[in-house]
Amino acid sequence: MRILVIEDDTLIGDGLKSGLTALGFAVDWVRDGRQGQAAIDAAPYDAVVLDLGLPGIDGLDILAGWRRTGRSEPVLVLTARDALPDRLTGLDTGADDYLVKPFALAEVAARLRALIRRRHGQMANRLKHGTLELDPVGRSATLNGQPLDLTARELGLLELLLNARGRILPKTLIEEKLYGWGQEVESNTIEVHVHHLRRKLGSEAIRTVRGIGYTLGEPL
Amino acid sequence: MNGGSLQRRLVLILLVVSPLLWAASSAVAIYQTHHELGELYDTQLSIFARQLLSLSLSGGPATPLPPVKDLIHGGAHADLEDHDLGVAVWDGQGRLLQSDGDGDHFTFEDKRGFYQMTLDEHGRHDVWRMFYLPAPDGSRLVAVGQREELRREAMWEVVGAQQLPWLLTLPLLMLALVWGVRRGLKPLKALSDEIATRRPDDARALTAPVPAEIAPLVAAFNRLMQRVSETLQHERRFTADAAHELRTPLAGLRVQAEVAQLTTDAAVRSHALERLEHGIDRATRLVDQLLALSRLDPMDALPSVQTVDWQRVAAAATQEVADSAAERGITVETQLHGVPGRVLPLAGDELLLGLLLRNLLDNAVRYAPPGATVKLVLAEDAVEVQDDGPGMTSDHLARLGERFFRPPGQEAPGSGLGLSISLRVAELHGLCLTLANRPEGGLTARLAQAATIGRIPPKGSTR
Repeated sequence: MRILVIEDDTLIGDGLKSGLTALGFAVDWVRDGRQGQAAIDAAPYDAVVLDLGLPGIDGLDILAGWRRTGRSEPVLVLTARDALPDRLTGLDTGADDYLVKPFALAEVAARLRALIRRRHGQMANRLKHGTLELDPVGRSATLNGQPLDLTARELGLLELLLNARGRILPKTLIEEKLYGWGQEVESNTIEVHVHHLRRKLGSEAIRTVRGIGYTLGEPL
Repeated sequence: MNGGSLQRRLVLILLVVSPLLWAASSAVAIYQTHHELGELYDTQLSIFARQLLSLSLSGGPATPLPPVKDLIHGGAHADLEDHDLGVAVWDGQGRLLQSDGDGDHFTFEDKRGFYQMTLDEHGRHDVWRMFYLPAPDGSRLVAVGQREELRREAMWEVVGAQQLPWLLTLPLLMLALVWGVRRGLKPLKALSDEIATRRPDDARALTAPVPAEIAPLVAAFNRLMQRVSETLQHERRFTADAAHELRTPLAGLRVQAEVAQLTTDAAVRSHALERLEHGIDRATRLVDQLLALSRLDPMDALPSVQTVDWQRVAAAATQEVADSAAERGITVETQLHGVPGRVLPLAGDELLLGLLLRNLLDNAVRYAPPGATVKLVLAEDAVEVQDDGPGMTSDHLARLGERFFRPPGQEAPGSGLGLSISLRVAELHGLCLTLANRPEGGLTARLAQAATIGRIPPKGSTR
């Protein structure tokens, strides 16, 4: 899942990027508010982490601008101000959730997952397809109750497919969701991941829709 | 002025002073009455003597008369005292020709005019006021006398009639005074009640109606409250800002610590640990700067004043940034323009000026590109720190010195307080610190006498 982080503080931004990457997200980090405001159009982000105390432009103005133009990506706001009026203003402007500094990385990840889940209309935190189960928090998957040995990218791909049940995922979208900026993607990278997943789940688990992309097969 | 109850003092003063005043006025009245009555009676005596003399010279009746009350037979005789008056007429040889009242006790004397004398009358010694009037040819001597006692009684009666109403109303007057004082001081009591029940952060002005005498006190109190409230608000804002500013480095530290814990990648972990150290440096610096500001903020005057030796201050400040400069490959150069002893003549605190210079040099070293040169120029009209870094946009220049403001996109750690500290130190010395882009590129921080370039109030300072 691809996340846009807009944070001017080097220490926090750098930490969020490394931390969220380690937790299975693809992260793009923008330091400048104006660049961040434009960056939302650059990739199909699943959620945005937005710092309010940005130089140049207020985080709330960025958010208001997005909402005005109909952008509905879930936004998790980070701020040092914890007074109730500040929080209310943030939520009223269109923030989906709110975290006050200093926050725990695990909490940022959990809230991002909750926001993304809610966006996909899911209530349960586990993704299921027949006997295939994926735990987005624990970063693990099981088939028939047996743990699967998957790499982070394979898990990410499986998560994407599970989230998009019944729909076809274009290959380019998968690339964009799995890789942040500056990460080299070979032209056949996604095919390789799909190939590995099929080997572990069974060849019927993922269907290839020629010229378009991939979708999940019948429940296993 | 010592303490004690104003009310008690006022009442005491009034209770002591008003009887004293009354007594003094009574004394004046007694003296005046005595004097006037004396004159009146003396005039009467002299007229009486004259008439008697002229009667006796014309050979008027010499028959002794019975007392008046017998003569008027029950007519209104008032409180006549025959024994308080007397007349006597002698011939030239001292033979008593005629006497009336107590005149038979008068003695023939070779006297004229008024006298005070003691008469022996049936064993009683009484003081009489006498008037002796001889005839021009010396054939007769008339003496008219009046008992002093009569005069004294008359005087006391007059004085008494005058003073008695006063004496009777004196206690009432005193009660009225006490009541008046109490009532007069009531606004004070109301005022102290209002202040006593006030919440400490209530900075509203006192509006209770007060007497004109207390109005200046109330006005001064209101001004003080206003100042206290401003200081309090300033402190609160500063504390809140400081707390918020600490949250950001803390959040960074926490995130980096979690990354170090979470990751299985050695490179990511070592990067996170390095960042963590960096963040701790930054937080430490922020706390140091906050402490410095919190000490500088309440200062009204410099803690110690001496003639400033800028070369010594500059040497100490450059020494302090030498390490970080060397780390970044930056050269710090001190240039002296003019006579050494005449650099920006100033009486001030070298420690604080050292802190100021260090902050300026620190900023220059921090933000200049690696390999750059930072110049500290000591001149007779100004002390300047110049760098050949990227300079700053005018937007950011305008906001420099605003507390906690840092130009965006800073890699270098900083608290956003260094310039606030420098500005405050400059302000305490009556100096003006200005930052500007140099035409040849880079930034210059110029410290000069405020008067020479016009006073520019330090930004972000609420004083």
